[in-house]
Amino acid sequence: MSANKYEPHLVVLPEDDANAALINGFLLFAGLNSRQIQVLPVAGGWQNALRVFLDEHIPKLRQYNQRRFVLVIDFDNDSNRRDIVLKQIPDEVRDRAFVLGVFSEPEQLRSALNRRFEDIGRTLSQECFENHHKLWAHQLLMHNQTELTRLNQSVRDFLFP
Amino acid sequence: MIQRLYAHNYRCFENFELNLKDISSCLLIGKNGSGKSTVRDVLEIFQKIGRGTNRIRELLTPNDFAWGKRNSPIRFELEAAVEQQIFKYEIAFELPDGFHELRVFEEKLSVRDTVVYSRKVAQVTLSRTHANSEANFLVDWHLVALPIISASSEKDPVQVFKTWLSSLTILSPIPHLTHGHSSGETLYLAKDGSNFAEWLEGLLGTYPAAYTRLDKTLKQVLPDFVDFQGVPSGGNSRKLVVQFARDKQSFRVDFEHLSSGEKCFFIWSAILAANAHIGGLFCFWDEVDNHLSLSEIGHFTIALRQSYQQQGQIILTTHSEGILRRFSHENIFYLSRKSHLEPTIVRPLSEVYKGRNIVQDLILDDIEL
Repeated sequence: MSANKYEPHLVVLPEDDANAALINGFLLFAGLNSRQIQVLPVAGGWQNALRVFLDEHIPKLRQYNQRRFVLVIDFDNDSNRRDIVLKQIPDEVRDRAFVLGVFSEPEQLRSALNRRFEDIGRTLSQECFENHHKLWAHQLLMHNQTELTRLNQSVRDFLFP
Repeated sequence: MIQRLYAHNYRCFENFELNLKDISSCLLIGKNGSGKSTVRDVLEIFQKIGRGTNRIRELLTPNDFAWGKRNSPIRFELEAAVEQQIFKYEIAFELPDGFHELRVFEEKLSVRDTVVYSRKVAQVTLSRTHANSEANFLVDWHLVALPIISASSEKDPVQVFKTWLSSLTILSPIPHLTHGHSSGETLYLAKDGSNFAEWLEGLLGTYPAAYTRLDKTLKQVLPDFVDFQGVPSGGNSRKLVVQFARDKQSFRVDFEHLSSGEKCFFIWSAILAANAHIGGLFCFWDEVDNHLSLSEIGHFTIALRQSYQQQGQIILTTHSEGILRRFSHENIFYLSRKSHLEPTIVRPLSEVYKGRNIVQDLILDDIEL
């Protein structure tokens, strides 16, 4: 069976195909327990992603206390984007909700690195496993550092056993 | 790994070229009738040649000419990296006036751009022999030469290539034909999965360590799975019986009585185990999403891609959103044709689509080639 909702698991909501491609790469890292992750269909924009999360998934976070939820969205060069999202999440589930993304958009990251989305995602996953954040320190990703630490504490035990 | 597949004047293919160099896993998508399963059929021709089928009428018929264009040869080319060598195999078939069965027009096998053998109609020239000289001989023009050219050793390029061709796995499982009975073993899985039990026996008989991987994968998708056994069922036949258990209670069921999706889980798990233990396998799985539940489709796809990332190569076709979303545009090929009277066009999706929601745009039929 796929991720048992009564065991620790992670649900990921990507804003669009480009973010989904990064996530695919993340899932392809062999050291990841990908069966504990379920990726939802793309939301079609960060505001849609937020709306879907608030309307449909907050109640489920309350219901399933082993669920963690990550929104993967473009920051469109807005350093306040994560705070805008997190402020709308109720207190009782906020410790299990996370927001990550490229500071501008994934296409810029791909161009900057001259690598495919999936290669980038796989490296990011490997760095999480190895606790060695070199690509995560890229100028388009470094704004995720605090959130990544918070997420790592919540999911590391079951995603990288 | 296949680097390039080419087909011309075959069914809906005219100068059809699929470039797969350095691609360990990819997805073919396109509307019904766009040619995805025709890619499977081309690969099946190569597989049959590798497995010894050399009579042309068992590979092709005159009806396979594209739009009946019998005055132009049907041509296939396959370039593959096998055991760190680049092989290129080319074969063309023609139907001269007065013939009822196609004959070989040209055939050639090269490795690293050096011709191993070449053929024009019935005349075969073998470039290397034991004496390092050229040999010329005739082959019935209704026969493909590759299966009948003998190799000097296991390392002979002809043998290396034939062995690899024979190992191509092409799947389009029909679960209700997968009954779980066997009266022998084989290392060749049938396209429809009907000989799954025999293939499983062959796999585990030759690679016993594969059971561990198989068991682990099955327990991930079927948590109450315990094991399976081949139980005698009369004469030399055996039937596959599967045991499940939970809360100190157990239950045994004949494999043939599992659901279609559960049978596909077994095939999938065995494919993963085979790729891990035999190494470097090629698999084409047509409409892989058939019979799989929504909660499993994503995990199934990622597991296949992870396995083939290490070694081997896999091509999937699908109409499923769940499968599609587990591939990036860089690993998807889009096939399209404007009508039944026009040839299939294939392009990497990343070259023709710059949008951000491929599923939505496929639903709206907004992709233009």
